[in-house]
Amino acid sequence: MGKFSGFGITLKQVFKKPVTTRYPKEKRPKPERFHGRHVLNRYEDGMEKCIGCELCAGVCPARCIYVRGADNPPDAPVSPGERYGFVYEINYLRCIHCDLCVEACPTEAITETKLFEFSFAHRADAIYTKNELLVDDEGHAKRQPWELWLGGEDDETSAWMRATSPSGAAAYEGRIVWSSELGVGYRQPEQGQRRKKAD
Amino acid sequence: MTDVNDVPKVERPPGVPMSQWPSAYEYVLPTGAPGTVTLTIDGREVKAQTGDLLIKVAQDHGTYIPRFCYHERMKPVGMCRMCLVEVEGMRGMQISCATVVADGMVVHTQSDAARQAQDGVLELLLINHPLDCPVCDRGGECPLQDTTLAFGPGESRFVEEKRHWEKPIPISELVLLDRERCIQCGRCTRFADEIAGDALIAFGSRGAHTEVITFPGDPFTSYFSGNTVQICPVGALTATPYRFRARPWDLSAVETSCTTCSVHCRGALESSSNRLVRLLGVDSEPVNHGWLCDKGRFGYEVVHSEDRVRHPMVRKNGELVECSWPEALDVAAEGLKRALELNGPKSVALLGGARGTNEDAYVWARFAKGVVGTDNVDAQLGDGIPAEVALGLPEATIADLDRAAAIVVVGLDLKEEVPVLYLRVKRAAEELGVPLIELAPRDQGLTRYASTSIRSLPGEQGETARRLADALGGARGTDAGADAAAALLEGRAGDIVVVLGRGDLAESAASTVRAATELARLPQARFIVALRRGNVRGAMDLGLAPGFLPGRVTLDAGREWFGHAWGSVPATVGLDAEGILRAAEQGRIHALMLLGTDPHDDCPDHALAEGALNAAGFTIAIDAFVTDSTKRADVFLPVTMWGEKAGSVTNLEGRVQRVGQKVSPDGTAMPDWRIAAELALRLGVDFDLEQPEEVQDEIARVAPAYTGIDSTLLRRARDGAVAPVADHRDELVLGPVSIPLTDARWEPIRPGLDAVELEDAKTANDEADALRADRLTSVAQSAGAPPAPALHRFTGGVTDTAPPARDAYALRLVTGRTLYDGGITVAASDSLSELVADPVLLISPQDRDRIGVEDGAEVRVTSARGSLTLAVRADAAIGTGTAYLPFNLPGSGVSDLVDLSTAVTDLRVESLS
Ligand code: SF4
Ligand code: SF4
Ligand code: SF4
Ligand code: SF4
Ligand code: FES
Repeated sequence: MGKFSGFGITLKQVFKKPVTTRYPKEKRPKPERFHGRHVLNRYEDGMEKCIGCELCAGVCPARCIYVRGADNPPDAPVSPGERYGFVYEINYLRCIHCDLCVEACPTEAITETKLFEFSFAHRADAIYTKNELLVDDEGHAKRQPWELWLGGEDDETSAWMRATSPSGAAAYEGRIVWSSELGVGYRQPEQGQRRKKAD
Repeated sequence: MTDVNDVPKVERPPGVPMSQWPSAYEYVLPTGAPGTVTLTIDGREVKAQTGDLLIKVAQDHGTYIPRFCYHERMKPVGMCRMCLVEVEGMRGMQISCATVVADGMVVHTQSDAARQAQDGVLELLLINHPLDCPVCDRGGECPLQDTTLAFGPGESRFVEEKRHWEKPIPISELVLLDRERCIQCGRCTRFADEIAGDALIAFGSRGAHTEVITFPGDPFTSYFSGNTVQICPVGALTATPYRFRARPWDLSAVETSCTTCSVHCRGALESSSNRLVRLLGVDSEPVNHGWLCDKGRFGYEVVHSEDRVRHPMVRKNGELVECSWPEALDVAAEGLKRALELNGPKSVALLGGARGTNEDAYVWARFAKGVVGTDNVDAQLGDGIPAEVALGLPEATIADLDRAAAIVVVGLDLKEEVPVLYLRVKRAAEELGVPLIELAPRDQGLTRYASTSIRSLPGEQGETARRLADALGGARGTDAGADAAAALLEGRAGDIVVVLGRGDLAESAASTVRAATELARLPQARFIVALRRGNVRGAMDLGLAPGFLPGRVTLDAGREWFGHAWGSVPATVGLDAEGILRAAEQGRIHALMLLGTDPHDDCPDHALAEGALNAAGFTIAIDAFVTDSTKRADVFLPVTMWGEKAGSVTNLEGRVQRVGQKVSPDGTAMPDWRIAAELALRLGVDFDLEQPEEVQDEIARVAPAYTGIDSTLLRRARDGAVAPVADHRDELVLGPVSIPLTDARWEPIRPGLDAVELEDAKTANDEADALRADRLTSVAQSAGAPPAPALHRFTGGVTDTAPPARDAYALRLVTGRTLYDGGITVAASDSLSELVADPVLLISPQDRDRIGVEDGAEVRVTSARGSLTLAVRADAAIGTGTAYLPFNLPGSGVSDLVDLSTAVTDLRVESLS
């Protein structure tokens, strides 16, 4: 029967549960540190977090962020303080999703979601401006016509900041030291890597 | 923080006056007798001069001691304590910025005690310092950030609430103050007081509540306020035009000269995303000591004005409509050809050229004189000093002011016209003790620093100068004022530096020429001809003046030489601006080229300019803006502006320096000189010039005063070259002395050279020596060329006629320029246009009472030419019998009153109430 043992393997597989995911209707969970496209967050009172400081633009190794600041109009301030992000653009034909911009941001204004499924027919579409990047009044990412994602998928972020801590001190692990977000509130700390290993 | 440590050590020759020291960063307040001391800094033995400050000696020998309040161009005050060092044998820590070196001193800048002191000072400074870095204009180039990183503690122990102030408050139209960020170093207040002489900011309150304040109702409206923003070691002072426009890491810089006025202060011009955003002063010892005036600092905004003309235009059916370059150039060339065929070269004229570079001036001069064949060319507008005088007087440099026996200022208000030269004269008079003699019709900017002020009525300047020259020449006893001035010179050797300008545009130029003639009789007199307009000196030097050819030679002297170089030159001497305008008015100018000039607004005689522009034939405008003059053009050729083109310019002392290109223009504008070359091509002459460097090389070959000043020399000369270079060999500093421009923006920024010069100091030095020797010996002499013509010398000029008697009811008009005027630089830049004042007629209190008007009342002012209605105010600075009205303010209309053909302008002032 030697020559039929191969069919045996096939036969065994037929009765196993299939691994196929019915993408895009169903999606597999993404890893915790997965980096997708960015959003510009707002505070819970609706103010923009971005202060136009250009630190993200300065750190970006792909040089794909363009920011310009401006004086906050005193009667209708866009962000708390003197300065706000007047122009904000990311070119997704160049972004390598390294998350360095997120690390550089002093106000947690720019974060990366796990949304990654988009394809452009025009170069101009690949340049996301404040219009596309800024979260809507409910705090959700604005879905672009060429983006493919399901409701709720945008709730996840790439979570680096919730794993690290000021000055890298372990004493801060698990403590909330970031600002709250419109529509989300305080994001919970990511489980520290040290604790994960111990589990 | 490596920048300052890279400063190469420069030996200062003993016994040489400060202004001749080889390096710009060798300035120390002179104290004590000259001598040498030896001391030890961090274990290294170094030599220094008596009286030098420890912080400076250490820096020059490669040890950077952190500092905030110390600035090389100001007196030390010891406010911040950042510069503490340990000196063996002295009790406690010493502030090195106020410690004078002594023989045998042993200094430790990095000992444990010194480090602890630095930590402590920084921790204390940061107690009340906000965490504003991300939104602070200084962030990224901040001395406090850098110093904390290099010398400070890693963490603060201070957890309490910080001191709070209202966030930025305006202290002037251009400067905002954030008191939370201020570290009370006193740089700004000291600058305002010591350097600018406008002590309008000071410290108020005590302790942690110390703040920089302005006096109630008296904002910091200094012409030099932008300098405080540059030298503030934190982001406490921000400039409204730059605020939030960019961050330091997205700027790139090019070294250039400001050409807003003719001083040509050195600056680092910075841009981001093809937009100019900032001009910082570069510390050039012979020119500007690092300072800029606000008009120069913020005037870059004009480059990006919405109103710039971006494409060529031709007139079709009465309208200027956009067209292609070939079409516009063809139309222009056709127009010129037609005028030449019908009426010959005498019917063609060129006005302007003072706003461009030397390359622009030279190629246009070659086009007008060598191709078109007309000598009706003038870069001035009847508002200057004739080229025979301006180009032929014995010259002084700006640095000569520091070591002069006396300074004589004739006419102009330096503060309004050439502000940074004003700072230099003020410093010479106030700090270096040079007697300052002022000849002016009224009290003006410099009057309070003058040792003696001689008031002269309009039209009498020549006569006043004669009396002064007599007294200075030894013939005393006729005039008490002149005798007093002459007495100031007793026991002082050296030159008398005369700063000559047109203080009063209502008075004819003959008066100024006469004054120059009188003073030039003194053997020790040397002149700085202070004409304001950007590159007017370069334009005249390179042939944009009637009767002159490039390189300060007259048409007659240079006929053969330029005939050889160019092929042909005009047959006879042509008309100056006044003559051109008159000829145009009479319909004798059939083609008029307006090279970046606006006679309608800038000519003192409005009726003449208006008549001329209306009657002129075919008009070609070569300009960046449609002005009241250029709107009448038949062809409009748009040009690139400062910052958009590279080249060289010549300042009022004859110093040729490079200007850099930082951005490219929107649209299709071309450099002026290229347009001339294109037109020449259409008239059948190929100049074969492609790059500005090629033009520089041609100038160095053919223009006698510019012999040797070619592109290589200009690239290598740190402070530029004073023409003629053979007479100014000591001014030529070649070779590797440089910190790249991008560093240390709050410290005096040093003039840079091309990066390649830095690589190998030794070879570069040898090369420099060779280059220098070459430039000083060889006069370019090609085979078969005629002998080089001699440079023009002024040998006395027109005698002015005595002004007509003034009747008792009339006031004699004085009209001078103000810094913020109606010119395009101010009008087209958003921040500066706010600063223009309303025109007011100023008269003396006595005259006001005689006429019987209140301050602020409207009066009717009538001259033989026209009349105006405007507000009047009494001012004690105005002499009785005169009336002062600023020239070229929007709405002042003073040019409606002036007739260029009369010696003076008398006014009737009638009350309207
Ligand atoms: S993720 Fe990386 S490459 Fe993309 S924008 Fe941010 S810094 Fe730039
Ligand atoms: S996103 Fe963050 S880092 Fe980028 S400009 Fe805005 S505040 Fe600055
Ligand atoms: S002055 Fe310097 S240290 Fe202070 S907020 Fe500004 S960048 Fe930061
Ligand atoms: S404003 Fe700036 S320059 Fe003036 S005292 Fe404060 S820190 Fe010094
Ligand atoms: S630098 Fe010496 S005390 Fe400020």
